[in-house]
Amino acid sequence: MSPEATSIEGRIVATDLTKVFGQVKAVDGLSFSVEPGSVTGFLGPNGAGKTTTLRIILGLAAPTSGSGTISGVTYAHLPAPGRTVGAVLEATSFHPGRSARNHLRVFCAAAGLSDKRADEALELVGLTQAARFPVRGFSLGMRQRLGLATALLGNPRVLLLDEPANGLDPEGIAWLRGLLRHFADVDGRTVLVSSHVLSEVEQTVDRVVIIARGRLIYEGRLADLEGASAGVVVRTPTPEQLSAALAPLNVKVTGRPDGAVAVVGATPEAVGHAAWEAHIEVHELRSGSSSLEETFLRLTADAGDPPAAPV
Amino acid sequence: MIPLLRAEWRKVTTVKLGWGMLLGAMALAALGVVAQIASNGASGNIALPLSAAATQKSIAASASSAYLFSVVVGIILITTEFRHFTSRPTFLIEPRRGRVIVAKLIIAALVGIIYGVICAALTAAIMAIWLGALGVTIGWIDNGVLLSMLSDLVVIATFAIVGIGVGVLVRNQIAAVISALVYLFVLEPLIEIIPVIQKAYPYLPGAAAGAITGASRGNLPHLDALQGGLVLLGWGLLFAVAGWMLMIRRDIP
Repeated sequence: MSPEATSIEGRIVATDLTKVFGQVKAVDGLSFSVEPGSVTGFLGPNGAGKTTTLRIILGLAAPTSGSGTISGVTYAHLPAPGRTVGAVLEATSFHPGRSARNHLRVFCAAAGLSDKRADEALELVGLTQAARFPVRGFSLGMRQRLGLATALLGNPRVLLLDEPANGLDPEGIAWLRGLLRHFADVDGRTVLVSSHVLSEVEQTVDRVVIIARGRLIYEGRLADLEGASAGVVVRTPTPEQLSAALAPLNVKVTGRPDGAVAVVGATPEAVGHAAWEAHIEVHELRSGSSSLEETFLRLTADAGDPPAAPV
Repeated sequence: MIPLLRAEWRKVTTVKLGWGMLLGAMALAALGVVAQIASNGASGNIALPLSAAATQKSIAASASSAYLFSVVVGIILITTEFRHFTSRPTFLIEPRRGRVIVAKLIIAALVGIIYGVICAALTAAIMAIWLGALGVTIGWIDNGVLLSMLSDLVVIATFAIVGIGVGVLVRNQIAAVISALVYLFVLEPLIEIIPVIQKAYPYLPGAAAGAITGASRGNLPHLDALQGGLVLLGWGLLFAVAGWMLMIRRDIP
């Protein structure tokens, strides 16, 4: 990637990012980019290194090697970070005894913004009624909204949100989806949203960056991920024989929790023909039109990660 | 720098903690004054009469006990950020961490000075009323009472700065507060009485504070007020620089 391409206004770039905690490589040579004008999902099972990656890009943690940049520079070198980038890292960054409004006013002062912005941000996230109450009484959903309000104070052109749907009710999720789509589609802002559940963001994002064990698994359009082969599902009393019969086809055969086997790398016709030739009894044979979530789980599980629990 | 100072000041004034600690500091200062005046002349009390300069200075130094609270306030100002993760938005808005920590040090010192002024005023009021009723003249200038009170401010403000440093070093709020108090109440008095190491005692923060304010402490030779002041400011600087360096290098929780 050429330097000019890297420094596009609002683009987030991770280059060979590595972060080691003691013996553990939390992030391992991770490279990806996030484009302005899109909502990008940053996906991976819990513990995949998403939050650590975001923290490095945001300058809160130093990478062991590699770099994370926004608009071509590291976070600390952004001219006015409070007005360029907004971020929420888990919905817990509040003093419980401080009111929502005072919380925002503290950061208005720090960013050199007028106190009016605090009320505007509260209005935007629908917390005007709760503005004067201490945060300790807030539900998780309200805290998510307040975190978002904090991120939006400086009217940033880049938004990074870590698990923003946590604790939001379905209505809240729909609202968030609309807000993020508006930011990307209408304003051309950069939006990066992390999640450990693909289905939570699949209606919101147009691109995805999938990681597991700190490594990149997939980066690209969500639509292309959808097209990835889900394979063929076969139910047979003799899976070992089937596996042997399919060996010449150079396919990948894996057992499924329900006792059937999944065959990736061949068409249903080819699998059916191989079974018939080898006189293998087959009770079911279908194209595995797996959901995106299954594809996601398979991708991240292939990386050797403990599979995320099905939701 | 001004925006950061405003933000840090708002952090102090928008939670209740500061007021509670101030009340505690005032209560302790008042207790010191009342105890010293009431017990004066009682059998077994070796203090000089109330009219003596040393006694008047010692009573005035009661205000300096607010440093026990200002060190805790300093610790809490910084560890609250780690405990409730307000460190994240703070350093997202201002990633130049050195500036944030300098703003925090200044505000901590300011809070210390405010505590000191209020406690000194309370001390002066009790002294003026009570000693006036007893017909004792207070030598505000001649006996160095006012100077003693001004030095209280330095002590209290410096301990707030030390508190910030301790908070950055220890990070965990409860552990930091406990270590500071255990040091001041247990460790330092122990060092004072253990023969081999007691030579170092006058250079410790608590002893240096005593040397400045003239609050009577033990029988060891003390530093004089100016030396004590320089030693204490040295401690303040040490903790401020240590806190600043760690804050810049470590990852933010």
